[in-house]
Amino acid sequence: MKKGKLTPYLMVSPYLLHFSVFVAFPVIFSLVLVFHRWNIIAPMQWVGLQNFNHLINDRLFFRSLINTFIFLLIHIPLQIIVALALAEFLNQQIRLRAFFRAAYFLPVIISGVVVTIVWQQLYGFDSGLFNRLLTTVGLPKIGWLIDKRLAMSSIALMATWKNVGLYVVLFLVGLQSVPLHYYEAADMDGATHWQKFRYITIPSINPTIFMVVVLSTIGGFSLFIEPYIMTGGGPLNSTLSAVLYIYKQAFTYYHMGYAATLGFCFAAVIMLVIFIQKKFIEKD
Amino acid sequence: MAVLKQGLVVPLLFAILIGCDGNENKLTAELLYWSSNNPYEIEFADSVVSLWNRLNPEEPIVYQPVPEGRSSEEVILAAVVGRTTPDFYSNIWQGDVEFFAQSGVLVALDTLNGFMDFLYDRCDSSVVEEIRSSDGHIYQIPWKINPIMMIYNVNIFRENGYPHPPVTYKDYLEAAEKISIDRDGDGYFDRWIGYRRIMATWWQRFFDFYPLYLGASGGAKLVDRNKVLFDNKYAVQVFRFLKTLYDKKYFTRESLSARQDAFLNSDIATRFTGPWEIVHAEKFKPEGFDYGFSPLPVPDDSIEAVYTYGDPKNIVIFNTCKQPEKAWRFLRFMMNVENDFLFLKMTTQLPRRKNLFKSPLFRQYFEQHPKMLPFARQALYVRGTDTCARLKEVFDIISQEYEACVIYGTKSPEQAIHDAAAAAQVILN
Repeated sequence: MKKGKLTPYLMVSPYLLHFSVFVAFPVIFSLVLVFHRWNIIAPMQWVGLQNFNHLINDRLFFRSLINTFIFLLIHIPLQIIVALALAEFLNQQIRLRAFFRAAYFLPVIISGVVVTIVWQQLYGFDSGLFNRLLTTVGLPKIGWLIDKRLAMSSIALMATWKNVGLYVVLFLVGLQSVPLHYYEAADMDGATHWQKFRYITIPSINPTIFMVVVLSTIGGFSLFIEPYIMTGGGPLNSTLSAVLYIYKQAFTYYHMGYAATLGFCFAAVIMLVIFIQKKFIEKD
Repeated sequence: MAVLKQGLVVPLLFAILIGCDGNENKLTAELLYWSSNNPYEIEFADSVVSLWNRLNPEEPIVYQPVPEGRSSEEVILAAVVGRTTPDFYSNIWQGDVEFFAQSGVLVALDTLNGFMDFLYDRCDSSVVEEIRSSDGHIYQIPWKINPIMMIYNVNIFRENGYPHPPVTYKDYLEAAEKISIDRDGDGYFDRWIGYRRIMATWWQRFFDFYPLYLGASGGAKLVDRNKVLFDNKYAVQVFRFLKTLYDKKYFTRESLSARQDAFLNSDIATRFTGPWEIVHAEKFKPEGFDYGFSPLPVPDDSIEAVYTYGDPKNIVIFNTCKQPEKAWRFLRFMMNVENDFLFLKMTTQLPRRKNLFKSPLFRQYFEQHPKMLPFARQALYVRGTDTCARLKEVFDIISQEYEACVIYGTKSPEQAIHDAAAAAQVILN
């Protein structure tokens, strides 16, 4: 091969090597695993579609999927409302604006594990700060992480606090791109602050809102650290996320074949959700 | 140019291939021993290996602590996959051995010269049967135990009119009623009789359900030859006892793990734990703090000796070992009575041997270290884990039902145990 023809291949080879080793090979290998039973150290055993048969009857996996969707249903609207409210606040000419912008972004760059451990203490039933505040004002204690009806909401609240800074930045960019003369025209027509927000701001930042929805969805589907550290999936599996369940199958029980099957099934669910969201975006 | 390329590529590939094999000792006559990475055990391994190498320079052993990882089990698994296992490893959890044995990565030790004689000399026949694999071979040497017992706060019990620790469930619940109190007057208990971390994770049950089950049942098995055996009155009694503790708030559901030691801080009066607690308590106990150890509570009608979980850690030889007989000669040396005694002295862990009190060495040690005496007595009545490659899943299933029944009270003890047994049987079929 001539030197000139070889050059493009050499140029793409680093990426190709990375892609082959870290993307293509794991995906193909996982696909092979789907039809096998394998505990990492013993030889693989062909099981055909047995893993799928197991999956169909695995109530805990479907429970973990429902839990993940519950998390998304709480987390995404909360994230958007809080991030938008903060962005709107930080878009005003207020004192210490730069400080507040940095402060809200700070949790994003703190390790998820550290945040989770700290919030676990804040949520403590007997000695946690939140319950201490509640009892100080005469209210009963709340089982933030030990009540199965509340545990996932508590995790969603913490995840919102952790990630909201990132979305505040995105919304700020969106807000600052809205042409000022829209607001000036609305002022001349006597529009209230709420009317301006509802009829000018929201439609103008719609693409940003959808971007935040997509990013939050992808992030939410990978929910793992928070339940892994805070609750271990409890109480009564109410915070068992799909990723945590797949992890347990793979790295606690070494059911690699079944974990791969769950992984592919979960990937299909994510793709379906993203596809639906994409349709909405295109429609918009 | 081609020659230059070959000249570079061939040594590079060779270097990579050599580098992939972490066992550089394979090229020599040395055997590699991985010990636990607990500093006391490292010190013991250093002493015993040094002594062996002085006495047997023609059969050198090198040791290193098991590499750091999230758990030693994961490190071993990674080593097996990468074919970088040591020749032998101490500190393997007994419950993991069957998984590795069935995967064919361990040496059947009963094929080694004099192994069975050694084993029967060291352990009771019940221990030999306990460690026998489902294929009839033995892949592990019982090495050490840390019996799970109840540590109790002597002062709290004495102040509440109990000169001795509770023996039965009834005693424990009666004491719990007095000891669990609201000290700051906010309407919630802030001192409890005990505490267990609320986590439906398999290994948590080794510190509550399992030792209590062994105590209630006189050391009965949970599973045997892939048949579930725990759908019985003992398991139900244990669940009912623990459920009562949570229902009456004598055990808190809150996580106390990230604050000052709740036991040494007198926030809890008892804890189910092992002898490692002694070193910790002696180091951090406040002035005037007094503690003791006793067997875990048993059902009120119990008349048998109180069994508990021994948390056994054993020794295995990997099939990558080229000279298993040589490894075995060293291991016999490492587990002779003098080295077992050295192990006890250096690590405060009990060797799993049947004649602890017969040896004057050990007797003298326990006289000088009275806190260890209850553990030595308890050592006569310990069980390890049942032989089952899917034991973790069985314990996870029990944990799920434990959480539903004991912690949150959504099921009766009978129903929870029955459901756990049925679910465990499905995975073992």
